[in-house]
Amino acid sequence: MKKSFLFSALMALTVSFIFVSCTKEEEIGPNDKNSLSIEFDNYVGGEKLVLGSKSYKNSLGEDFTVSTLNYFVSNFSLKKADGTEVKFPNQYFLIRQADTKTLTVTLPDVPAGDYTSMSYMIGVDSLKSISDVAQRTGVLDPASYGTDNMYWSWNSGYIFFKMEGISSAATTATKLFQFHIGGFGGRTSVTANNLRTVTTSFGTTTAQVRKNIAPTVHVVTDVLQTFSQGTSIAKTSVMMNPAASKPFADGYAKMFKVEHIHNDKM
Amino acid sequence: MNSTRWRLLAVSLSFMGWLASCSLLGGEASPEPLFSVPATFPQPTYDLSKNPITSDGVALGKQLFFDGILSRDGSISCGECHNQSHAFTHHGHGFSHGIDNQEGTRNAPPLINLAWQDSFFWDGGVFDLDLFSIAPIENPLEMDDKIGNVLQKLRTSKEYPKLFKKAYGTEEITTERFLKALSQFMLTLVSANSKYDQFLAGKAQLTADETAGLQLFKDKGCAKCHSGALFTDHSFRSNGLLPEYTGDLGRYRITENDADKNKFKVPTLRNIEVTYPYMHDARFFNLEAVLKFYAEGVKETGSLDPLLKQNGRLGIPMTADEQQKIIAFLKTLTDQEFLTNPRFAAP
Repeated sequence: MKKSFLFSALMALTVSFIFVSCTKEEEIGPNDKNSLSIEFDNYVGGEKLVLGSKSYKNSLGEDFTVSTLNYFVSNFSLKKADGTEVKFPNQYFLIRQADTKTLTVTLPDVPAGDYTSMSYMIGVDSLKSISDVAQRTGVLDPASYGTDNMYWSWNSGYIFFKMEGISSAATTATKLFQFHIGGFGGRTSVTANNLRTVTTSFGTTTAQVRKNIAPTVHVVTDVLQTFSQGTSIAKTSVMMNPAASKPFADGYAKMFKVEHIHNDKM
Repeated sequence: MNSTRWRLLAVSLSFMGWLASCSLLGGEASPEPLFSVPATFPQPTYDLSKNPITSDGVALGKQLFFDGILSRDGSISCGECHNQSHAFTHHGHGFSHGIDNQEGTRNAPPLINLAWQDSFFWDGGVFDLDLFSIAPIENPLEMDDKIGNVLQKLRTSKEYPKLFKKAYGTEEITTERFLKALSQFMLTLVSANSKYDQFLAGKAQLTADETAGLQLFKDKGCAKCHSGALFTDHSFRSNGLLPEYTGDLGRYRITENDADKNKFKVPTLRNIEVTYPYMHDARFFNLEAVLKFYAEGVKETGSLDPLLKQNGRLGIPMTADEQQKIIAFLKTLTDQEFLTNPRFAAP
């Protein structure tokens, strides 16, 4: 009795193992691919970011509202557990809190597989930053920004990260603070480089790209982290010089965390 | 023998005359090329392969250059502050008046030989001619518009879609097409036919003073920075001007490197006679004041160029007579043909 139970249990395990491995092999064809989306959900501390009059407080005790939050993300790369990497060059996205449809970016044609981590750049890499105007289309087109400008015409380069709002700590007459962070390292001279690469592990879960699964990686940010490396509104209310923006860039490098991943079948 | 020679000469002369008159009458003389590299110039820095110059492209660029549609209220064109008769500077203005009569903060530089320039503005903040025009268009003190809005105005205009079609094959108006058309016109602004150029080609004589000035220009070291056929080495240097008028720190604004404080781009000296006033802050109204400054006004700026403090002395030792002769030479760099060429004239 005992023996036969053990036997059938073993049999069941073996069968299920074969079944699992079988379906796995069946699931991933060599040419299978799908898209993978990354949703950027901007928070301030534990609170969802609301543009406008809602007031927040940074670690220095400075109150602030956020009227504008924009940033470029680019150069995505996905890594599998075995270390193989899939890169997505020449794809640039501009996250604009004021425009919901920009908050989700989609990487097309991701080879099917189980991905365990992701990295991407905050900003526009130096090669693209010095490229011919022919290559500056879509979100990189200087004509595309209207009054919410993300390009410096006087010091050729993109504004990688822009945050503006009102703070009683601001030293400007209108109490407006403006953080415009750019600086790709310079073309003819070495200048400040505020490009930052964020690498986040998916922890115990994976993003499972299949021909019938297009995962969504949910990234939750914490805007308070931008103040974590020495930025103070009272000290610098208008930040537009790349060299002086380094602490802020070090801060935004820390604000992105993967919260969870949806691997829903289509 | 003798008479045969004369007859031959007469025949060949009349044949040449016939050829010349024919080509003139028939209008088949090869037109002045849109852009060519003068014999004494190096190869251009601008990559012409990414923006091939065509007559329709240049015509479009010229139309845009002289059109106030590029500014918020239609009042300011590029040509407003860049006048041909003054080598495309703002005739006599220290700082140009932009939109709503607001004053800029730097002296408008000449637009000449831009294909050989590797950076733009006094501080070199822009590194590509194609990206340059965005700056004055969006500067609130200059034209105060947005590129996107300017393109929209061009798209809804009557004539521009047609001009873009002529230049590019379709009516589509993009940032690239717009900026590269402006570049095309600006690239054609080549000045290389001054009296000095004619002298080098053996077609003109310099006066005694001009000749002496040329020698002094070399001997006194002027040519070390204002070097070569372009009369600039395109470097950034501090020439001994303290930021006492406008507080402008020049190249430092771009590099944020302390060593670059008070450094500005070495300007070309071609057509210098007509590009007054001088220096980034327009502090000198004539060449006499400039030469006098180099002789006795150079100050230690913290980053002063070593060429201007030789043997423990600030500036360049020059007598009044030497200064006059150098000025005489500088005036041979005026290119009347360029300053009056109808190809570059406002429509």
